[in-house]
Amino acid sequence: MIEMVAALMGGVLYGLIIGIVPSAGATTGLIALFGVISYFAHEPYLGVIFLMAVVAASTTGDSFTAILLGIPGANSAAATMVDGFPLAKQGRASYAISAAVTTSTVNGLIWGCLVFLLFPWYTNLIMILGIPELWAFTMLALATVGFLSTKNWIRSILAIAFGIFIGMVGTDPETNEARYTLGWFYLEDGIQIMAVAAGLFAIPELTKGLFTKSQTASIVKDEVLVGMKAVWENRWLAMRGGFIGAFIGLLPGLGGQMADWMAYGSAIAANPKEEFGKGNIKGVIGPEGANNSQKATSMITTVLFGIPGAKFAAILMSLFMYLNFEMGTPVIAEDTKFFASMTFGFLGATVIVAILCIVLIRPICYITSVPYIYYFPFLIALVVYTSMQYTGGWEDLAMLAIFSIIGFTCKYFKFSRPAMLIGYILAEKIEGLTLQLTGLYTLETLIIRPIFMILVISIIVIFIYSFMRKGKIDYA
Amino acid sequence: MRKLLTALFIFAATPAVADYTMVIPQKPGGGTSQWAQIVATELEKYLGEKIILKHIPGAREIPGFNKFHNELRFDDKTIMVSNGGNGVSYLNEQVDYEYSDYESVGLMNLNIITAHQKIHDPYGDKPTSFSGGGGKIPEGIAMTILKCGNMTTENYIACFKEKVNWIKGMKGGSRRLAFKRGELDGTRDNPAAFKKHVQPSIDEGQAVLWFHHGILQTDGSHADDPNYPGIQMENLFYDMYKEAPNSELYDAYKLVKSFRDGLQKSLWVNKGNPNRDKLVAAMHELANNSESVAAIQKKVGNYDWLIGEAGDAHVRTLKTFVTENALKTLVEFNKEAFGIKAIYKPELVK
Repeated sequence: MIEMVAALMGGVLYGLIIGIVPSAGATTGLIALFGVISYFAHEPYLGVIFLMAVVAASTTGDSFTAILLGIPGANSAAATMVDGFPLAKQGRASYAISAAVTTSTVNGLIWGCLVFLLFPWYTNLIMILGIPELWAFTMLALATVGFLSTKNWIRSILAIAFGIFIGMVGTDPETNEARYTLGWFYLEDGIQIMAVAAGLFAIPELTKGLFTKSQTASIVKDEVLVGMKAVWENRWLAMRGGFIGAFIGLLPGLGGQMADWMAYGSAIAANPKEEFGKGNIKGVIGPEGANNSQKATSMITTVLFGIPGAKFAAILMSLFMYLNFEMGTPVIAEDTKFFASMTFGFLGATVIVAILCIVLIRPICYITSVPYIYYFPFLIALVVYTSMQYTGGWEDLAMLAIFSIIGFTCKYFKFSRPAMLIGYILAEKIEGLTLQLTGLYTLETLIIRPIFMILVISIIVIFIYSFMRKGKIDYA
Repeated sequence: MRKLLTALFIFAATPAVADYTMVIPQKPGGGTSQWAQIVATELEKYLGEKIILKHIPGAREIPGFNKFHNELRFDDKTIMVSNGGNGVSYLNEQVDYEYSDYESVGLMNLNIITAHQKIHDPYGDKPTSFSGGGGKIPEGIAMTILKCGNMTTENYIACFKEKVNWIKGMKGGSRRLAFKRGELDGTRDNPAAFKKHVQPSIDEGQAVLWFHHGILQTDGSHADDPNYPGIQMENLFYDMYKEAPNSELYDAYKLVKSFRDGLQKSLWVNKGNPNRDKLVAAMHELANNSESVAAIQKKVGNYDWLIGEAGDAHVRTLKTFVTENALKTLVEFNKEAFGIKAIYKPELVK
């Protein structure tokens, strides 16, 4: 039990710091763990607790930078920043932070309980859904990422296609022949996720932090209880945000910003006579309800089907592989200790980080006033070290450099990097499931499967909808 | 807490005090990595020195073994971990490593067990759907021989295409799930995994045992597996056809199954390594300790170790299966039936 608590506390502290550090966040924090995760190999369940604590703590922690600096620690706090930062500049930072942390905690606990405590029950789904349904579900993930998560869907489709392409580099599963490796043996085992994730996300985001000018707001008066009271007064708004986040988290491949912006939009729509963007607490409570619930529900598709619910989940899935937990398999479905560890890690961290954030609100705020230049070398070193965990040779560095260039390019030209990452993660699954589907099923046996047909129709509807909708927000 | 602190201490202190390096040709988390981790932990107790794990992953676990062969083996404190996949690659892929250049510290001579759905008749008209891929070559050949009887390789290839639905693109987890859901007609696993994943389906009446490959003996024969008696491939063949399997493909089958299962989990050092005797002595101690053995068997099943000279003799036995015809037939069947790349390596026959 002491070891579990130690792993939990370690995850909370790391997650909180990585959440608070400007431009870092859950995804970057998880990427940096590839270099050390194998130290949990002897006690993999402690590793699960640690990782889930990192996810929960960083999701709550990133509210600090969004509110105090006007820089989201992760993209998922961007919506919180719109009204949170103006509040902080008015000297009401503790009011905004307290409201954000309370909303995050309540939704994290509600949706965390609904997801993690009931996980063993959801596992029945993996026996109901066969290869055709998994194939269609994977396609649905690509459709939602490609068409719903961005207004630039053509760029998004290109990003997915490129992601799938890099995911197919390696060895052809049909023939065992090297594929798209340009004769480089290093690539025959595929392009490794550490370089892809670090290059696409960590390096560009950390570098961006160097050039982001921030005005640091500070806590003028203590309004922690007022912030908590504001959440109670807007409890239905907080709940609605949580529900929106939970729903988006369930849709494979979405999550993150989309849920937050939708929750923020719903807060505006529900209060048409109020002004937003200049320090309305409802603009903080709405989106903050969404990001923790989204993190919880996106674990359902990740664990049960091996289809990441969001980009953080894609990284998490790979880290679990290092601990010998393969998502979407009967072994996982029957592993009650795995689910118990996830529950303990996520819910425990949600509670602890809330207490820490409220009790230590002033010291934590001082952390945000440390110039980013001091974090930068450490974080870059950590990411480079992580990227060299495959062979430790120059090839790893070369891949990191290549994907960093791709990451910067995608960021500049607004090609969806989450779409690219999810395409890359799902490439192997798409190819494998397609081979299995065509090998085991015929058109006649497919059209009589109702869930398969519903999923296929959903994909078609999403495709048609993407042509017709207007007034879209760019989440890329 | 103590374990966590110990882990942290090991993390901090390992590079400074480690004496042996165990090279693993795959990433952490893989089956061989886990096995190596358990063995290293147990072996340290008897060796009295630390063993650190060095992962050198790469396609089909070849780069790590190649690196051992070309560079690392000359370090007297380096131990190589290899698996059955390395054994298969050795037969029909371009690799640098050569088993004759090493001495065995210890190896586990394992077996693979198969099962099929109870409602599926593996010898009936409907082709048997089975998860394919490079690691399942012995199963694919065995079921072809069982289904088709003795015939020429050309006819076997045609028979395979008619009677086996070789499904590619499945990993262990998805294969087990597909079998459990009834989507695949057949499945296979090593004894420990079989017990965990397939036996419950058998106990529930959904599946039945099919065949296993037998366990390689020092005289080159394959004996029935006492864990799963009565379903060795050769015995089933004899029961059906009233004759022993006798074909070029059967020779290729014996070759590939022996190299995969006979070298399923192995530890090597360079020939003439002065630390070999010390390592072998520690392995003997390990093999005589029931707790250590139980920890390892939990991962791979209830099979004995072949230690030191016994391992070297085992390799010499394996080499007796390497003939020009067997290699050529294996390459032909890999290419024409399974559709996977394979090269004939005449240097192996020499």
